[in-house]
Amino acid sequence: MNELTSSPLFGIVLCIFTFELGIYINKKVKTPIANPLLIAIAFVIVILKAFHIPLDKFNVGGDIIAMFLGPATAVLALSIYNQIDILKKNFIPIFIGCLVGAITSMTSSYLLSKAFRLDEVIARSMIPKSVTTPIAMEVSKSLSGIVPVTVAVVIVTGIIGCVFSPLLIKLFRIKDPVAKGVAIGASSHALGTSKAIELGEIEGAMSGIAIGISGLITVFLSMLI
Amino acid sequence: MKLMLQIGVIFLICLVGEGISSILPIAFPGSVIAMILLFILLLTKVLRPDHIKEKSDFLAKNMAFFFIPAGVSIIKYYDVISKSILPLLIVCIITTILTFAVTAYTVTFIMRFLQKGETNNE
Repeated sequence: MNELTSSPLFGIVLCIFTFELGIYINKKVKTPIANPLLIAIAFVIVILKAFHIPLDKFNVGGDIIAMFLGPATAVLALSIYNQIDILKKNFIPIFIGCLVGAITSMTSSYLLSKAFRLDEVIARSMIPKSVTTPIAMEVSKSLSGIVPVTVAVVIVTGIIGCVFSPLLIKLFRIKDPVAKGVAIGASSHALGTSKAIELGEIEGAMSGIAIGISGLITVFLSMLI
Repeated sequence: MKLMLQIGVIFLICLVGEGISSILPIAFPGSVIAMILLFILLLTKVLRPDHIKEKSDFLAKNMAFFFIPAGVSIIKYYDVISKSILPLLIVCIITTILTFAVTAYTVTFIMRFLQKGETNNE
């Protein structure tokens, strides 16, 4: 058993089959809450805990899968290139949307954390929660937050965006694909973007742009705090 | 372009992105720099979309899958957040919804505002 779980294939096989199971359940239940990614994460955690398999063993294979995240983000450039006319025409709304989104996310995360009587240092760790992990970690550090807390809330925020964005689009009656994409990217970074890609090419491309612009704006705003 | 070569091209751009990221004075992820580089290469016609199309489709369509290890790694931080997990979760949910709504409405509003300006000028 120990030798089996030490192989990089262990983590990879576990991810593929829990994700396929997630897709299967998602098709059967037909609710956005039954998100394949969320189901896969839950099953992997349960399996690791049930069989007392250390996270490090899983990550031998898990790291190989995670390595594809960078290239998957980079190739959003192709979607953006395909939608270049829409980008040129709407650059100002996209930029202002990201700016207002970043300010909303940073201030509401801090103030709401304080309202819930969370420690000052936790509240500070929450400020960059809507941007992509590497940026969020640096911003958290510069605001003297706790970096692991930031990483955790960034992932939680991404999963929330990924799971709920189709519902939020309906709830707030967002019709325009540019507005949908920018809102997803600005509120839930690359994890939300994985859902935006499924909604359509314009949504995916705009969400991808929003990751970069929101990330940069958050870095600059954090310097002003 | 052959699939192996497409993989090579995309991974090479990502590697250059990581390199640039490591020498930048501010923290900016290599993946986003690679996205900008790839975009420039497409704009300047150094690369054509069909040079990277199949591999790009594969990566983009499976993006959610690549996030599984990151999601699982949350158990590593469980001890740090377990004390206040419920308020943290509530804050995350409310602020994500709020940010989504404010951003979506801002984009829609500015788009309409600019369109009105255009039609008035005509």
